[in-house]
Amino acid sequence: MGGHARPFSFLAGFREPVVWVLLAIAFFTSISGKPVDGVLMLIVALGLVVDAGRRARGRAAQEAVAAGSAGPAEARPARRLSGRRRVLVAAALLAGGVAYAVVVGSFTRYSWPATAGIIGLGTVVVLIGWHGPLRHRQVRERLPVVGTLLWAVVIVFGGLWELSALLLQPSITTDSYAHPTISTLTDPVLASSPGRSLVLAAWLAFGWYLVER
Amino acid sequence: MNTHELTIAGYLAVLVSIVLLQVLATRTRAPVPALGDLLTRAMRTRTGRVGVLVAWAWVGLHFFAK
Repeated sequence: MGGHARPFSFLAGFREPVVWVLLAIAFFTSISGKPVDGVLMLIVALGLVVDAGRRARGRAAQEAVAAGSAGPAEARPARRLSGRRRVLVAAALLAGGVAYAVVVGSFTRYSWPATAGIIGLGTVVVLIGWHGPLRHRQVRERLPVVGTLLWAVVIVFGGLWELSALLLQPSITTDSYAHPTISTLTDPVLASSPGRSLVLAAWLAFGWYLVER
Repeated sequence: MNTHELTIAGYLAVLVSIVLLQVLATRTRAPVPALGDLLTRAMRTRTGRVGVLVAWAWVGLHFFAK
């Protein structure tokens, strides 16, 4: 390897499939009338490219980073909190999460206030999670092949089922009673403020769960 | 069964399968990883991690944002 910087190392991020998936999402969401989603996906894709390029330039000096990978996300050093402070922090986070769900849930769907609330929180969570999990977690070196395949089958089937319902609609923006998508099925729940708040609370909780993985 | 019910049955089948696999993973000795293990594994690299978090953020954008 040696310590020389490689030419075009700033393009290293384009070797990552996730970057291409994000660019594809950015393109298709933009042309399907959701330019905000498209711009955000584009920003994240370019952020990953810049980040991977910077890491690739430092790779010559860091043999530990696996070739062809963007490198492991390392846990940040955990700051130990005393029991009482931990309870206070957890209570403050919980209260903040409930307040967020109630306030943003009170806004009409697809309005600018709701959009700002979602983009704001989504950005914060992605930025917090970008550099690694909040606390160290044991990663299993090998997952059982058969069990992992079973999960893959279920997830791929679910995705294809949703996609087929979407494509069987009269048009991509027109709902169908005969072939409802998940969005169509959740519309009645998201039509009311309490329903939106409950879904937002679940979304927020899952986001925090992911940040900790 | 009409197409509306059939479509919903497909979603329910996916949901039940997810619950079943998670129960198999956490309550038995079956060689099935828990969903949390899969996510941790997928999020081991920087791009995998950001990809999963962006997928989560996209769900919020899809259901609530302009």
